Amino acid sequence: MIDEKEFIKQLLTPETQNSAFQKLLSDYQRPLYSHIRNIVLNHDDADDVLQNTFVKVFQNLKNFKGESKLFSWMYRIATNEALTFLSQKAKLSGITSEALQNKTIDNLKADLYFDGDEIQIKLQKAIVTLPEKQQLVFKMKYFEELKYEEIADILGTSVGALKASYHHAVKKIELYVTSN
Amino acid sequence: MKTFKLENEPKIKSGFKAPENYFDTFQEKVLQQLNEKEVKVIPFYKRTKIISLAAAAVIGFALLIPIVNHYKTNSNELDEATLENYLSYHSNISQYDLIQNLDDNDIEKLGNDVTLEDETLEDILVASPNIEHLISEQN
Repeated sequence: MIDEKEFIKQLLTPETQNSAFQKLLSDYQRPLYSHIRNIVLNHDDADDVLQNTFVKVFQNLKNFKGESKLFSWMYRIATNEALTFLSQKAKLSGITSEALQNKTIDNLKADLYFDGDEIQIKLQKAIVTLPEKQQLVFKMKYFEELKYEEIADILGTSVGALKASYHHAVKKIELYVTSN
Repeated sequence: MKTFKLENEPKIKSGFKAPENYFDTFQEKVLQQLNEKEVKVIPFYKRTKIISLAAAAVIGFALLIPIVNHYKTNSNELDEATLENYLSYHSNISQYDLIQNLDDNDIEKLGNDVTLEDETLEDILVASPNIEHLISEQN
């Protein structure tokens, strides 16, 4: 595997840019799709957001300072794109983001690209009741199995704060599932 | 009711999946979108920027026309205060010269503009004895 600095250099050099960007796409399209899909829930929306994310990544490569890892930087762009998409969609429909997510979860049973049963739907419903930050932390830790250090780098918080967020999220989810 | 404990349960997966072959075509879709943006969108954006700037300039000038006209009209006609000020302090014309230039219409107009009650008029005449000279000069 090539060193990240070298890879970024290839991404910025016109002669090597195309092949390097193709490698970036093939390495990150699956994990970023899962990350975005976990936030927006629906496949078509995830597809739109994922495309926008890669376009933004490409357009902003020249501004990438290498202060954080390429991985964290891309996840950060994807997270922002997904959250902005959700709030815009909610605004257009004239409902809150939570109401929109509940509606999407109700439609999951009929979603061709969702392979889950009652407990999965109940878990999604429980997650929607959490504050945005706790939702993100829970999804990234539980579903995507990212390390606390990685999540901290992506969200710009400390590992300690993340552990507390995850703990609160789990407690609330357990309470919700037990009583519903 | 049994208490639900996430750690005691088998791992619950998100259940989300992508359509078959989705990732095989995804790369191509993004690269195509980037090419389109490079070839079409940038020049179009620049052109619309120039067009919108030109339109804004035209609207700006159009909005200025009534204001410019207003100032132009004003500059040709002196307002009353300026005229009065000039006649009082900056010209050699005395009150007498002014009075001599008034015709019957002007005097009638003045009579209408300045309506004084008889009592006030009497008071003025008593308080300013010199006014007699003016009256006699007019006659």
